[in-house]
Amino acid sequence: MNLNDEDLIRRVVEDGDQRAYAQLVRRYQSQLRFSLRQLCDGDQGLADDMAQEAFIKAYKALPAFRGDARFSTWLYRIAYNLVMSHKRKNAPEVDQEAVDRAQSDQSVEEAQQLGMARDLNSAMGELSDAQRQAVHLCMQRGFSHEEAASIMKLPLGTVKSHVNRARAKLQTLLQAWREEVVSG
Amino acid sequence: MVVKDGVISPSGSNDPDFDTWLSQQLQFNEPHLDDDGFCERVMADLPPAPAKRSERRATRYQYAAVVAASAIVCWQFPLDEVLAQAAQQSISLYSLVGVAVLSSLVAMTGGIFAARR
Repeated sequence: MNLNDEDLIRRVVEDGDQRAYAQLVRRYQSQLRFSLRQLCDGDQGLADDMAQEAFIKAYKALPAFRGDARFSTWLYRIAYNLVMSHKRKNAPEVDQEAVDRAQSDQSVEEAQQLGMARDLNSAMGELSDAQRQAVHLCMQRGFSHEEAASIMKLPLGTVKSHVNRARAKLQTLLQAWREEVVSG
Repeated sequence: MVVKDGVISPSGSNDPDFDTWLSQQLQFNEPHLDDDGFCERVMADLPPAPAKRSERRATRYQYAAVVAASAIVCWQFPLDEVLAQAAQQSISLYSLVGVAVLSSLVAMTGGIFAARR
């Protein structure tokens, strides 16, 4: 049975139903882990650890979740806070080995990708970290600007500005692909 | 500046549908990450589930029922007669009160245990 997030959360909080929470974890694990991999500069191990910690923290705080925001927004906010706090604490210590390993994996994957995906990745690489995160949250994850601002803990205007600048840059870089699609 | 197949060329024009197209491309190119034991690891590290709300409510009702029953018993208890008898038979009032309090505690504890089972 496919229950929506609200029903699953109600089951967890009111009935202590951990299977309902497992369903939420399965629903969001791929998206969250993928997002955190980008945020952790490709360190997949760290991203998965952070995602795991975020799910556990969210579970503990679930009785206090008032439902003002979507569960996914709330979960992303927890995860982003964890990663940012980890980055602040461990700024000088970058697991270069893990990053290199991830990058070499990525290179193999990239070689298998079609030109569009490769150029899209390359264009995303041209953006600043903040611009990339804003585009990822708003255009890939479908969060509103307000939700993205709340997740990134940035003023709404700043997020809008990041998205606009990133959009302009990507539009320029990917125009040839877009024209090809339009012209068929 | 435009990149296509790794080749850089001059830029193109604005496109009103660009956001939709870009969202589609970003989502289409995102791989689905297999669970690969991730969910099990999360579930294994969760703290034990708290008691169900219905169970907590039932427990509260049980306590309330025991307290109410004890109150009725106390209310029905012929305290005046017992005190008069105690005075006549010169039983120490303090020991009588002590025995009464202890008996009540034992009865209530027994009642709570019985109700919880």
